[in-house]
Amino acid sequence: MRNPFTGFAVLAVAIAALVIGSSAVFTVGQTETALILRFGEPVPGRSLVTTPGLHFKTPFIENAVYFDNRVLDVETPKQEVLSADNNRIEVDAFLRYRIDNALLFFQAARTEQIASNQLASILNSSIRRVLGEQSMLQIVRERERERIIEKEGKKVTLPSPMSQVTRLVNEEAARLGVKVIDVRVRRADLPTQISERVYSRMQTERQREAAEFRAQGAQRKQEIEAKADRDVTVLRAEAVQKSEELRGRGDADRNRIFAEAFSKDPEFFEFYRSMQAYEKGLMGNSRMILSPDSEFFRYFSNPAGNTTPRPPRAVPEPRAARP
Amino acid sequence: MPWSNQSGGGGGGGPWKPGNNNNGGGKGPWGQGPWGQGPSGGGRGPQPPDIEDMLRRGQDRLKQALPGGFTNGFALGGIGILAVLAWLASGFYTVQPNEAGLNLVFGEFKSRTSSGLNYNWPYPIGRVVKLQVTNQKGLDIGFRTRAAGRTGSSQVDVPEESLMLTGDENIADVKFRVIWQIDPLAPQNYAFNVRNPDETVKAVAESVMREIVGRTEIQKILTAERKVIEPAAQKQMQDVLDTYKTGVKVLQVQLQSVDPPEQVIAAFRDVTAAQQDSERMRNEAITYANRVVPEARGMASRIVQEAEAYREQTVADARGSAARFTQIYEQYAKAPRVTRERMYLETMERVFSNMNKVIIDQKQGSGVVPYLPLTELQQPQSAPANPAQPRVQPQAGGR
Repeated sequence: MRNPFTGFAVLAVAIAALVIGSSAVFTVGQTETALILRFGEPVPGRSLVTTPGLHFKTPFIENAVYFDNRVLDVETPKQEVLSADNNRIEVDAFLRYRIDNALLFFQAARTEQIASNQLASILNSSIRRVLGEQSMLQIVRERERERIIEKEGKKVTLPSPMSQVTRLVNEEAARLGVKVIDVRVRRADLPTQISERVYSRMQTERQREAAEFRAQGAQRKQEIEAKADRDVTVLRAEAVQKSEELRGRGDADRNRIFAEAFSKDPEFFEFYRSMQAYEKGLMGNSRMILSPDSEFFRYFSNPAGNTTPRPPRAVPEPRAARP
Repeated sequence: MPWSNQSGGGGGGGPWKPGNNNNGGGKGPWGQGPWGQGPSGGGRGPQPPDIEDMLRRGQDRLKQALPGGFTNGFALGGIGILAVLAWLASGFYTVQPNEAGLNLVFGEFKSRTSSGLNYNWPYPIGRVVKLQVTNQKGLDIGFRTRAAGRTGSSQVDVPEESLMLTGDENIADVKFRVIWQIDPLAPQNYAFNVRNPDETVKAVAESVMREIVGRTEIQKILTAERKVIEPAAQKQMQDVLDTYKTGVKVLQVQLQSVDPPEQVIAAFRDVTAAQQDSERMRNEAITYANRVVPEARGMASRIVQEAEAYREQTVADARGSAARFTQIYEQYAKAPRVTRERMYLETMERVFSNMNKVIIDQKQGSGVVPYLPLTELQQPQSAPANPAQPRVQPQAGGR
């Protein structure tokens, strides 16, 4: 303490200890896996550190590299897949993976970026392979659905297309030391120019439907109106029928009544009726040219009466007033 | 800000290096250090001057209490002890009621803490991650709402997200919102298990909705199935997210709008209009029928009633005439010759009294006839002619 250099020495030792200590110690986070490298090469046996916490290594000659042990994602850009029925469909997929074997991962891929690129191309080719065997409708409707097929008399459950993709990707990805948890299609769309055609088809379908509705409406309208018109005609005809019957019955009754009454003295009836007819039929409108010889004038010139009566002669009125 | 982020000195490859931070500097689980919570948070931010102040005061007191020779050594020791105490004290932190705290020691997840005052080892040994577990987050897919001044928000469509193929090879425009939160039972999964939990939620939401829409027909999507799609999507999203152990709880999937694509929406509307037209035409027809048929019934009834009236009238007339005849006949039978003559003359009298008469004696000169002034004869005819007509007519109809 007396010597001022002693203080410096203590300080120097302390700093050296700190430097060495900090180089010998490293922490592995909850979300990480570490790999201890000696001169850039993994140390056999104790290289992999998977448990989080404080760990030790040989100072200076060893260093730790870290890998994420969380679920990581790879997104592929949109790619066109030709379906089994020759439709082009744009598929946009993603996968979720975890670094399963950091040692293998480090040896095969070194960095996440490289691994991610490789996984993306594996994913793309697997999707093309699996979905290329499906029809477009199957891709759209049944990519996540298991299928049951008959094979040699037995029912066999085929895994869904996407789980086939997952399996394929996993087989390929195993050499990268990763485990693919899931592969999903994010979007499966039609290319723009085909979409336009779908739109126009949808449009024509709707137009067809609309025309059908309108035609059905017109049809029903005609039906209902025609039925109403028919009802009207029938009602009227039935009424006329009944009316004629009634009138006929009336006329018949009339004839019967007259016949009953007049048959008492037909000769008198003829006279009586003639008188009525003269009175009504010759009223006002008529002009008569009479001969003084007629029965009416029997006593006109001869108080004893003429012997040969003549009936009055009616002359129809010339109808100048009416067309 | 070296004080606000404990992980700043994590030593190359620490778990919280900026590149790994999925929040993009936002207010996510890590952007907000455990020390940013105000005065009770252990106080790293504003503390250094205080500590120095405290140390200086302590030093002063020591200097006063001890003889000069020892001052230096004791002072150094005191500073050291106080520094250690201050460092330890900085391990206190508060967790808000809507948060959950996760204690990390040397990077390892040790325990979960709930709201209130908590303690963990201070930096660089310990670290605290706080997550807002009760906050519900909305994720819009197919559209974005943007604040547009005072008037509120405007909606911007994202067609590449919302246009989906349906099970019958049509395209539907589906916009929906996912409400989710960090699972309060497993916030550590959210924090440690998935690198991009928010992005994962979005990717899964899109994928699941497209899958569901992809196996449903467009008519069902547009109408009845809406209430089926929402819970199905929620359940399936939750299932997928659970397989990744994301620590995310999907609370609700809300379909905001389900429409045909813009290009064909007019045609779809026209179908609805056509249905209405059809219904309208039917109603018109029913209106017509309802008007015409009762009218016809009324008309029919009128025809029948008229006929009935005619029958009764005819019969009554006939009875009357017959009765009259019978009466007259009875009198006639008593004195036929006189009665007949009288009737004849009375009738003729009535007939001739209303009539223009020309009496021509054929025996005296048949040549008179050609000189008859016919035009003159016609003149007085129109006045008495008309009133006489109605009397004639009923009898004419009777026949």
